[in-house]
Amino acid sequence: MTGNEAIGRGFYEAGGQLAASYPGSPTVGILTAAKSYDEIYGEFSINEKVALEVGIGASFAGGRTMVSMKHVGLNVAADPFMTFTQTKINGGFLLVTGDDPGMASSQNEQDNRILGKFAHCPVFDPSNSQEAKDFVKVALDISETYDCPSMMRITSRLCHSRSIVSLSERETVERPDFSGNILDYGMIPPNTFAKQYHMKDRIEALMEKANTLEINEYIPSDNKETLIVTSGLMYNNLQELDLDVAIYKLGMIYPLPIQTFEQLSKEYGRIIVLEEMMPFIEEELKIHGISCEGKAYFPFTGELHTETIEQGLIAAKVIEKSAFEKEEPVETVARLPMFCSGCPHRPVFDILKKTKKKVIGDIGCYSLSVLYPVEVSNSIISMGASIGIAKGMAKMNKLKGNTEPIIAVIGDGTFFHSGITGMINMLHQYEDENITILILDNGLTAMTGGQENANTGKYLPAADMKVDIPQLLETAGLPKVQVVDQFEYKEAKKVINDAIKHQGLSLVMTTRPCALNFKIKEPHFYVDPEICIGCRTCLKTNCPPILMKSYDGMDKLKSSIDPTMCVGCSVCSQVCPVGAIKRSE
Amino acid sequence: MNTNIILAAVGGQGLVLTTNLICEAAFKAGFDVKSNDVVGLSQRGGKVWGSVRIGKKVYSPNIPPKSGDFLLGMEPLEGYRWSGSLKDGGTVILNTKAIPPVPVMFEDAPYPVELFDKLRESYEVVTIDAVEEGLKLGSEKIANTFLLGILAQRLEIPVASWKEAITENVPSKFVEMNIRAFDIGYEYK
Repeated sequence: MTGNEAIGRGFYEAGGQLAASYPGSPTVGILTAAKSYDEIYGEFSINEKVALEVGIGASFAGGRTMVSMKHVGLNVAADPFMTFTQTKINGGFLLVTGDDPGMASSQNEQDNRILGKFAHCPVFDPSNSQEAKDFVKVALDISETYDCPSMMRITSRLCHSRSIVSLSERETVERPDFSGNILDYGMIPPNTFAKQYHMKDRIEALMEKANTLEINEYIPSDNKETLIVTSGLMYNNLQELDLDVAIYKLGMIYPLPIQTFEQLSKEYGRIIVLEEMMPFIEEELKIHGISCEGKAYFPFTGELHTETIEQGLIAAKVIEKSAFEKEEPVETVARLPMFCSGCPHRPVFDILKKTKKKVIGDIGCYSLSVLYPVEVSNSIISMGASIGIAKGMAKMNKLKGNTEPIIAVIGDGTFFHSGITGMINMLHQYEDENITILILDNGLTAMTGGQENANTGKYLPAADMKVDIPQLLETAGLPKVQVVDQFEYKEAKKVINDAIKHQGLSLVMTTRPCALNFKIKEPHFYVDPEICIGCRTCLKTNCPPILMKSYDGMDKLKSSIDPTMCVGCSVCSQVCPVGAIKRSE
Repeated sequence: MNTNIILAAVGGQGLVLTTNLICEAAFKAGFDVKSNDVVGLSQRGGKVWGSVRIGKKVYSPNIPPKSGDFLLGMEPLEGYRWSGSLKDGGTVILNTKAIPPVPVMFEDAPYPVELFDKLRESYEVVTIDAVEEGLKLGSEKIANTFLLGILAQRLEIPVASWKEAITENVPSKFVEMNIRAFDIGYEYK
């Protein structure tokens, strides 16, 4: 099982009843796994804040609850979380947050262990799929016993790695219904005053409990020079080195078993902390007066693989020399991700590239538009941010006398997640600033694997949400949305260019769905080399099957299309100036 | 000693499923097994890679430097890219169907066709045009299963475990085709 699947299974076994999430790599698979069990109600909510609120309601109502999201998702959900942590827990509550050391698929590398401490709640860190499953139950038990939400902090490597898991039966957990006791749940002052003491007391109690908690494992050694403190998947990487050294493996990384470490610090010559990203455990130990080292030897960013750990321990003089042969990376041609064959984003960014204007991007597959060779979007920050940023830039440009048009692009999933608030904010003190917002409606949350969103019902009758974006915006008082089929290239180009010229707010929505989830099955296109002039206009749309090729008897390279990869979207044939690209039949 | 298998592909070629099939087959044969695959932003058209480690007891899913025994390259350039992780004398199993990356499409760099010779200098190299072979049986989607058959020749996992893993994990209408592809790979010289 992957770590994600194991967490879903663990929730099932622990008697979990409601799971909510918002899709984001690396944690998407948790909810998918959890809701595969009939006993669990699962939903991908509209955003992480709503997912967390749905989870709060479920916990209030007295059932075991799990909410999962990627690390930056917790920034969105932090508002309810930081107050919910003060209330009484009814059904056990587990928040799973997926950090991404090394940023395989994220816009930053924030270390969410700190948000666990910030929320005065225990933080768990499993080291393999078996622990990922088992810790779900431990965390839910602790949540109910110590009256706190529990946080499980996992990393992308743990989410996606597979290891063997032994399964157990599902438990039944009975919890009372919602009491409605205002002192426990009505979080305004003065009710919140007592809660500050409650949170302090429970962390102190958990710190005491940490000394005897089974998932905190001490592996002693006769070698009393060094004790290595670690947690998570790094423990396995460390084990690969097969060292004669004592290890303290934390299953719960906050609060720490301080009494135990006070004892151990007398027993061992030095304590070295092995942790990815920030020196969280190191600082916690130091705050409590326990002398230790860590980030002096290990990188502050990226993953700590076996070889990185070894290098750090050599620097720390714990070991003398490397056990591994040096690996030389093979230098060769780079391969960056690109839009799929038939991707509806392709014509949009081809049109935008030709405008040579600055574009404010957002989060989704179309984030690839910052990469070579598209390089159209000039900025990407966070979910839904493009709209607010566009407004702020337009206002500042105006103050500075700069009249250049501003363009923002946002997908439908991101629009529903948090773009909608920025859009309504456009109504406030808007004058005639030239902003064009392109809503790329592809009917799904595509980049995370094609989860349904509030718009999917438009393309998939079985989906239960079918929010009409143009109608929604027009009802709110925004300008009429111009709806355009981007596979009608010339028409789309005219609409987008006219919108950019228009002095004022223009809204354009494109309508083609995600080509990966709603497959285009049209006859493929081919290049007639006799007509092709080798101008490369089609090539510049950057479609996987298009490649320049040398044809027999022709000096110049001409375009070609791999028929096994072409899905027949026709965009290349529409940009060809000489009609050399034809549909096969 | 653990057996270390590296997988390399272009996003969308089915690396995650292939990694899972190896894990399931090894698990059914009674081994400890851990794996790892890099997915995410690399979903489509980017470079993706994975690892499987099989043995009596496996700690980390990550393969230590230069410790790979086998490399499954679902695309030649991607196989070449990860070949530095192999032990000297390791085995490369390569699908020869090339997918040009953007710098090649844009004529900024040639496709490094010399990679086949370079790999042969240091490793045992088995090549197969798995896409072509797949089309012969009815679908290019089964391409990776030929590679699994070739890998299976060299591992101590019974054929029955492989076939069970395939049967349980590929879409039902493709099971028979995949089993045939596996058999062809298993006999492939």
